[in-house]
Amino acid sequence: MNDRSAARILSATAVAGLAGAAATGPLAGWERFWINWVQWFLFLLTIGLGCLFIVALEHVVGAKWSVPLRRVPERLSSLILLVSPVALLGLLSLRVLYPWAGPESLQDPLIAGKSAWLNVPFFTIRVAACIVLWLLSYRIFVRGSMRQDQHRDPGFNVRVRRFAPAFMALFGITLTVMAFDWISSLEPEWYSDVFGIYIFAGTFLAGLAATTLAVQYLMARGRLPGVVPDHVYNLGGFLFAFTVFWSYIGFAQYMLMWYANLPEEVFWYKERLEGLWGPLLLALAILHFFVPFFALIPRDAKGSPRRMFWVAVVMLVAHWLDLYWMIFPVIGKDPVFSWPEIAFAFLFVSTALLWIRRAMTRGADMPVGDPFLREGLEFRL
Amino acid sequence: MNPGSVSMPENVLPESLRPVPMTAGPVSLEGLDDQVLSPVERKPPRAWFIAFALTTAVMLLGLGLIGYTIATGIGVWGNNIPVAWGFDIINFVFWVGIGHAGTLISAILLLFRARWRNAISRSAEAMTIFAVICALIFPLIHIGRPWLGFWLFPYPNQRAIWPNFRSPLMWDVFAVSTYFSVSLLFWYLGLVPDFASLRDRTRSGIRKFFYSVLSVGWRGSASHWRHYEKAYVVIAGLATGLVLSVHSVVSFDFAVSLVPGWHMTIFPPYFVAGAIFAGFAMVVIVLVVVRATMRLENLITMYHLEVMNKIILTCSCLMGYSYLLEAWTAWYSMNEYIHHTFWQYVAGTYWWAGWTTITCNILIPQVLWVRRFRRSYFAMIFVALAVTVGMWFERFVIIVSSLHQDYLPSAWNVYKPTLVDCGILLGTFGLFFTMVLLFARVLPVIASTEMKSVLPGMQPRHAGGSHE
Amino acid sequence: MNRPVFSVLGLFDSAQQLMDAIPAVKGKVSGRLETYTPYPVHGMEQALGLRKSPIAGMILVMGLIGALSGIGFELWTEAVDYPMMTAGKPYWSWEAFVPIMFETMVLFACFTAGLGMLFLLNRLPTFRHPMLRSKSMPLITKDKLALAVESDGQSLDVGAISALLESLGARSIEVVEQPPAAGPASPRFLFRFAVGVAVTCTAAGYLTYWGVKLLPKTVPIVHMLDQSRLNPQREAPFFRDGFGMRVPVAGAVARGFMPYQMHSESEADLLANPLPRTEDVLRKGRRDFNTYCSVCHGILGNGMPTLTAAYGAKPANLVSETIRGYSDGRLYRAIMAGKNAMTPYAAELSEEERWAVVHYVRVLQRALNARDDDIPKETRK
Repeated sequence: MNDRSAARILSATAVAGLAGAAATGPLAGWERFWINWVQWFLFLLTIGLGCLFIVALEHVVGAKWSVPLRRVPERLSSLILLVSPVALLGLLSLRVLYPWAGPESLQDPLIAGKSAWLNVPFFTIRVAACIVLWLLSYRIFVRGSMRQDQHRDPGFNVRVRRFAPAFMALFGITLTVMAFDWISSLEPEWYSDVFGIYIFAGTFLAGLAATTLAVQYLMARGRLPGVVPDHVYNLGGFLFAFTVFWSYIGFAQYMLMWYANLPEEVFWYKERLEGLWGPLLLALAILHFFVPFFALIPRDAKGSPRRMFWVAVVMLVAHWLDLYWMIFPVIGKDPVFSWPEIAFAFLFVSTALLWIRRAMTRGADMPVGDPFLREGLEFRL
Repeated sequence: MNPGSVSMPENVLPESLRPVPMTAGPVSLEGLDDQVLSPVERKPPRAWFIAFALTTAVMLLGLGLIGYTIATGIGVWGNNIPVAWGFDIINFVFWVGIGHAGTLISAILLLFRARWRNAISRSAEAMTIFAVICALIFPLIHIGRPWLGFWLFPYPNQRAIWPNFRSPLMWDVFAVSTYFSVSLLFWYLGLVPDFASLRDRTRSGIRKFFYSVLSVGWRGSASHWRHYEKAYVVIAGLATGLVLSVHSVVSFDFAVSLVPGWHMTIFPPYFVAGAIFAGFAMVVIVLVVVRATMRLENLITMYHLEVMNKIILTCSCLMGYSYLLEAWTAWYSMNEYIHHTFWQYVAGTYWWAGWTTITCNILIPQVLWVRRFRRSYFAMIFVALAVTVGMWFERFVIIVSSLHQDYLPSAWNVYKPTLVDCGILLGTFGLFFTMVLLFARVLPVIASTEMKSVLPGMQPRHAGGSHE
Repeated sequence: MNRPVFSVLGLFDSAQQLMDAIPAVKGKVSGRLETYTPYPVHGMEQALGLRKSPIAGMILVMGLIGALSGIGFELWTEAVDYPMMTAGKPYWSWEAFVPIMFETMVLFACFTAGLGMLFLLNRLPTFRHPMLRSKSMPLITKDKLALAVESDGQSLDVGAISALLESLGARSIEVVEQPPAAGPASPRFLFRFAVGVAVTCTAAGYLTYWGVKLLPKTVPIVHMLDQSRLNPQREAPFFRDGFGMRVPVAGAVARGFMPYQMHSESEADLLANPLPRTEDVLRKGRRDFNTYCSVCHGILGNGMPTLTAAYGAKPANLVSETIRGYSDGRLYRAIMAGKNAMTPYAAELSEEERWAVVHYVRVLQRALNARDDDIPKETRK
């Protein structure tokens, strides 16, 4: 299948998805519509943010082995541009999904106390501020890198290395705010302070997985000359390490709430273990931890393109499942998966792939203006 | 697009992007051996003896007070109800935390292939072991009847009962003892080739005997190196897991409980970040002294110190994030007991400890954003000392401030540490530095074999390969 | 005398020279190729054609065994052997078992790695290896790299190998000989060994004795055995007089009991008998009188018991005119506090019982001093 026909198929599925999604509201209920909307935009947003974080991390650390690959996450982070309007539209979901958004919520003293933070105007300002910060950072990192292709000035590296640590601080805060706002406040009585770090772990992994997939795609088409399995090995190492990190944070949050058994905390987990949610959690643990962990232990696995491709696919599915398991329990006692979910999948995945396809034409396939590109290509284990 | 067609010659790159040499000035293998191994072979200078006498005196004071505590009872400490955990647990968490930096440097940086780690990994690992020894003292002596400490281990006994494996205190026993044994093993494995060098430098006598035994006949053959390298890297990976898990298990001591201010899910990563933070501060202090007194400035360069300062700064920001999250979540929880506890942290009986923590951990290290301070001995020692103090007080605030006023006002009380408490804390510093001084004269402070493998020109060229 | 040749080695100055020399020697001479280097050289394994180290597989297997042992042990001890319920958690609380399971996994894996590598795979220690006695060894651990052709049992062509190595740039050549065979142990060594064993056994024996018998009796371990408390019928250093069994202080009364305030007989006169004169009371009074009082005062209360001849003292005649004239309170006092030679009977008779006896004494007094009109008319003659 060549590129053009792929684009046509994707457009068709996107349109089909759009039709199905539009029908969800009237036919299956607006709750169903908005919950899918929120889950999918968070999925794409976390991938975009994860990739932006990868770029920033590379600048903070000054790593050279990753320079040839850096254009990949830079392009993928443009998903933030796609998702920003989607997120803003998502503000319409507040009344439908979020208990604290309606005026009757002030009856509950627990929510009324938090209304200084959880109210629609402040929420909107926060969402807007996060988006503005992310778009600004995107401009500095990605547009700056693409401009460096032309002017080849190493001053960009110097400037962006100064900005990167500040971005890290802002990223930490904005990602935490996003996690608490969109996901945790679906059940406003619940709180867990490691939640921001948990979402960060998932975000970083999603970015790494998407980057790995894109790198495999480009390498297979010969668009990354000079990039060898040694580079991919390092990506695999990060995937392995942060799979363990995500599992550790997820387990710690669960175990601490299980152990203390406080009603005000543990109800969140109880909802997500009853009925079919329990087996779903088991599936999540298997896909998000056991499969990548054991698949990536052997040294050869981390350099093998086929293995890395499939591990990355599994990780992205697992990330989606993670968000699904966290978000969907608010609309029903049992997991729901039927035509609305499939329609939304078609819509969002196709649109994202089309967008990424377009992004892959922007700038050179490698940051040719970066002074360390040659050294990066010479990297061997 | 033609990759590789553009690569700037070094002198055109802006200064901040130029590669930094591993050593200040050229170093030959023989010169390296002489610099690193000869202190082990000759008598220490007078300054060392004076320092050793001082630290030993402080250590003996501490040991004496520990003996007094065991003979008399825990009543000589300031522990009361409800503050049943005082200096004992604060010191335990403090020392275990300091140990983690060593493992991070020697294990995690090995996995990241950061070659600058090789000059400091030996000292860092040694500090891990010494810090864990200091830490292990406290669980032993705080149980009141330390001679019954063996009850913690699951052996078949006529009491017909097993230890309670569901308790985080048991998890601590396993985690810290595993951490100690694995660190000791890892350190020893790294030392084996160095012992071989020492063995071959001595002619005969008791020293040669000990070095021969300790080096287990190491001869540097390639067939041995391949097993060695692989085992070393895997242990480094497992030790990384230990860094995360050990201090997380220590944090579970608090986080699984219901004490307000303790049951926060952020405790595991927050404690790990704090441990690395405090540990790096201690490493900076020790290395600044070691490199100056043993004239190793060309091997442990300003670059090493600067990078460690950057890590300290990063950890300071992580701690800032954690404090912010804790405070915000405390408000968000709408739980009056948690509200009260957090208010106590900054405006209660121990407000001064809370503010010391915030100042020393978050405010003072921010000076390290400025490059000049990152490279200034005075600034880095000042920051490192502030961090050490701040991290100790952080544990004080978490433990004492949360415990002294929890749910039931009738159980509120004030904790006043006694002189015995303070003396034992001081004694552990004496013990730690005594061990550091002994280490500096008995073992090579820099892993000379590892250093040799990363010096420029020591590895054969790949077909155009680099290892950055 | 010439010993058999173990190996011929050439010393090189740099790793590059060594790596260049290896393909030139490999296959050209008979004998096993080995290199000795002061630090591990990258790519040496492949250059020499050494098999990959199996340590990684060993570590994985032992790690899994460690994890399973850890959790299996926890499960068995907490849920099977002595099921222990803590904090209301179920017996099989896997969440609480995970941390220790992780630690045992790491412990088993690390020790397999370290000790397995040293002792199993490298078969160290080998103190008698010929290389350790060679002249080159100190140079190797310092800064030279050696390429050695070692004999597998066959004899080596020393001249050819030396020439080849020199032509490849070896700084110096050494012919390493097999060490002399280990002779029988010298008497001096055996003596030292025997002394060592004897000393170790003695020390171990004494330490065991001290640890098991003497140490538990030292302060503070013995504190629990040596308690400052009153033991019955033992001396008590706690009190100045050393008596453990204490008498109550003068004037001590039992709780809930207020004794009559009568310090003299005239005060006793003021007391009134609180018990009614029912048959029940009189019957009890008779029973107690017969038990306690009739021994001395006689069954009829007239001072003529069966004991008098042997007794010596003269008990009072309770039915005499004097005693008939006593008040009830005075009689009570006599029972309680004794009178003259009569000992107090307060311990034998409770308050109620004493009053009942007083009633019965009145009966006896009336009976032995009956008047005619005490007898009913019907029975009078």
